[in-house]
Amino acid sequence: MFRSRSWFGVSWGRPKNPHSLEHLKYLYNVLSRNQTVSEHNRGLLVETLRSIAEILIWGDQNDSSVFDFFLEKNMLSFFLRIMRQRSGGSSYVCVQLLQTLNILFENIRNETSLYYLLSNNHVNSIIVHKFDFSDEEVMAYYISFLKTLSLKLNPHTIHFFYNEHTNDFPLYTEAIKFFNHPESMVRIAVRTLTLNVYKVDDASMLAFIRDRTAAPYFSNIVWFIGKHIHELDACVRNDADHQSQNRLSDLVAEHLDHLHYLNDILLLKITDLNQVLTDHLLHKLLIPLYIYSLSSICRQSEVTMETATQNLARVLNKSLSSFENNFQHESSNGKVSCVVSLFLLSQVFLIISHSPLIRYLAWIILRTEKSIFDQGFDKLLEQYDIFKRKFELLESEQGNQTGLHLEIESNASSSGSKENLLEEPKNITDEEKEKLASTPTETTNISEKPFLETVYNSLDCTDNDYAALFALCLLYALANNKGVMPDLLELVLKPRISASKSIGRDIKYSYNTHLVEKLLHIVILSCQPSCRVRLVTLELALKLLLQLVTCDGRNVMSDVHKTSIETARAQSTALLRNFYKSEEIFLDMFEHEYCDMSKGPLNVEWLCMDSAILLPPTGTPMTGIDFTKRLPCGEVERARRAIRVFFLVRDAVLTLNGEIETQLPLTNPQSCVQIDTALDLSIARCVSLSQKSNNC
Amino acid sequence: MSYAYLFKYIIIGDTGVGKSCLLLQFTDKRFQPVHDLTIGVEFGARMITIDGKQIKLQIWDTAGQEAFRSITRSYYRGAAGALLVYDITRRETFNHLTTWLEDARQHSNSNMVIMLIGNKSDLESRREVKKEEGEAFAREHGLVFMETSAKTAANVEEAFINTAREIYEKIQEGVFDINNEANGIKIGPQHSPTNPSLPGTGGQGGSQGGGCC
Repeated sequence: MFRSRSWFGVSWGRPKNPHSLEHLKYLYNVLSRNQTVSEHNRGLLVETLRSIAEILIWGDQNDSSVFDFFLEKNMLSFFLRIMRQRSGGSSYVCVQLLQTLNILFENIRNETSLYYLLSNNHVNSIIVHKFDFSDEEVMAYYISFLKTLSLKLNPHTIHFFYNEHTNDFPLYTEAIKFFNHPESMVRIAVRTLTLNVYKVDDASMLAFIRDRTAAPYFSNIVWFIGKHIHELDACVRNDADHQSQNRLSDLVAEHLDHLHYLNDILLLKITDLNQVLTDHLLHKLLIPLYIYSLSSICRQSEVTMETATQNLARVLNKSLSSFENNFQHESSNGKVSCVVSLFLLSQVFLIISHSPLIRYLAWIILRTEKSIFDQGFDKLLEQYDIFKRKFELLESEQGNQTGLHLEIESNASSSGSKENLLEEPKNITDEEKEKLASTPTETTNISEKPFLETVYNSLDCTDNDYAALFALCLLYALANNKGVMPDLLELVLKPRISASKSIGRDIKYSYNTHLVEKLLHIVILSCQPSCRVRLVTLELALKLLLQLVTCDGRNVMSDVHKTSIETARAQSTALLRNFYKSEEIFLDMFEHEYCDMSKGPLNVEWLCMDSAILLPPTGTPMTGIDFTKRLPCGEVERARRAIRVFFLVRDAVLTLNGEIETQLPLTNPQSCVQIDTALDLSIARCVSLSQKSNNC
Repeated sequence: MSYAYLFKYIIIGDTGVGKSCLLLQFTDKRFQPVHDLTIGVEFGARMITIDGKQIKLQIWDTAGQEAFRSITRSYYRGAAGALLVYDITRRETFNHLTTWLEDARQHSNSNMVIMLIGNKSDLESRREVKKEEGEAFAREHGLVFMETSAKTAANVEEAFINTAREIYEKIQEGVFDINNEANGIKIGPQHSPTNPSLPGTGGQGGSQGGGCC
């Protein structure tokens, strides 16, 4: 870069060694003679500021007198004076100034130097300075500066940034102003900074965050997520022909970013902060938007719909002019479509593990009854509080068995909730328990639970499996989230063991027969020719099915259900037989598909990262959607599908019977020529296949 | 200064492999490499020229943020290029490459250009990872490979510029959706179309090479 040789620059004689105290003294003189930034000296100033960074770091690593001089002359005050000038291409100088500060704070190893640098409050003055943030370069350097500082935070340094007496924390409060900056890297830097701040263990600072900033900051986040989701929803609705896949995938990725960020905060386990955050998330986003959108397909019960809408309107403080159950109406009162809501809830349960939040959400989906739902939001909260208290009581108890009794007792004693939370009548005898186990209550009163009902209804694949896939994702995510209480899942997503007290009697297992039948229906449908169930849906249905009926490593399926799955297997074999005759290269395909499928089981978290599944199922490979996530196109793909259905069902049946695959693959891979593992997988596969066929 | 495109890069790799030094060495050549000074920075920007077009590179170091999953995944997603760096004098930094790459592949958009960098090539006497090994790894995973030294500035320039060239070529081929800023590519202010509803037309100097397929 051109360095302007001004009169001031040369007059003092530049020392030969750039790494020496003399050089810093020289630079000090340049600064003090060029306190006003102008067109003429800005090149010199930039070079001076750059050299200061270099020499200070050299000093920090080699000669402490350099740093002493810098502090003694209060050189940071020059920095402030320079950046406060608005003329003479100040942004050009400001960028170097910020970069010099970045270099300083990034590289200083000597703790004392760092403390001295921070001690005179100049850094805070720089932080609050209103730079020209419309300049993309200034913005980037500024936010990097704040982020670099946040990486230096610890219980000692925090006091240089957070002033307990004035209740001031500019590093944090200035940074969060850019939370929603259009530039993604700026947003990431802000998130990083907040996380770095939260993780500093300092009670008074955290109290400040909680009291002064948590509510506005978190409600902002929540508001933006909500806004984002409406965009996502609109994108899904308006894109029946898969035209804006890129946009959709960005929106989905952004939602995931938000959830991961919230989860990262929650994982820091700062009790007070988590409470505020959980509260905001639940009551301003997850319940009114995600959960209540689930009720939108309860069309069978118009009355419920109407009251629900009224309730929702009350919750959102909005008046509604019409009760028409259409999309426009839904979006006007803050709802999104059912598929979007199922998809987003799956992501929530797959990512967030903070149990107070997850527990409540799971409780609402699995337990909320229509009677409570109809009474609105407040009632819902009230009911949950009762439930929560019970749980806390339960937690404080050591033995699970005593806890269970307490739950029943406290439930019965709460007068207002007689019919609501009770799964079983009080004072159950063993006989009654057994009876209950054989005819689970879930089946009889499922229509009383509006959200769970929606999920179950979505599993219907008669027309297509669009919503079913999301319902499966959600159920799977619920069943596998560690934050959900096991009690809540019992008989819904995992079997119940009814151990009888009297010795010598068998342990009874019972499971959610209603759901199992729904899943079996999906499996059987998948085995029919030209059905509209995608492979991924079948795989997930089977995965969930295994979980529902497996207890202590045993298959507890009833005989009726065992017969159903065997029927499905027979049908999948029959389906396959058709293609065996018609396809010439059937065996090659068969082996190829087996090889491809053994690469790994379905990862539901990854599945829910794929925005492509949000669009209505399609058959055309032109969309670039994975084969398993779309319908087959053409005869060859139908054959491939039949092969995979056969494998999936076969594998499930083997697992249920506790058997191990012994017959597949047909060729022993060891006997084939081994391919250099260095090759790209897809190529390797092709080559190995062609070699296999050569061997045969 | 105006530019035709802005490319966002990230630098990834184990701690201590010299990521921030590489960054500073590239973005600010005025820092003379000297033997007794280790100096780095987390962010930098620099203008380069490819095909007669001004291209601005913004480089973000992701150091210190590994603890937060949300941060790493967002970084990957917002970048058009990544420099995956290991230290040729420390075998373990080479061994961790697979993990880094898996992470990158999982979170980034599929078009992100990744360059593998074996840093500290000046420390030949302490070398633990042969150049051939780096080359083999790069070949195996479809990466571009280069050995550099942030200390002597050897190949630093080339590493960043070659990556940029590859991104630029992808734009020309129409692989990158340049109208989507989430990809880590931005069209320069004066190059962006006047009518935002007509993407890919009307840019100055024909900067709109590929457009959409």
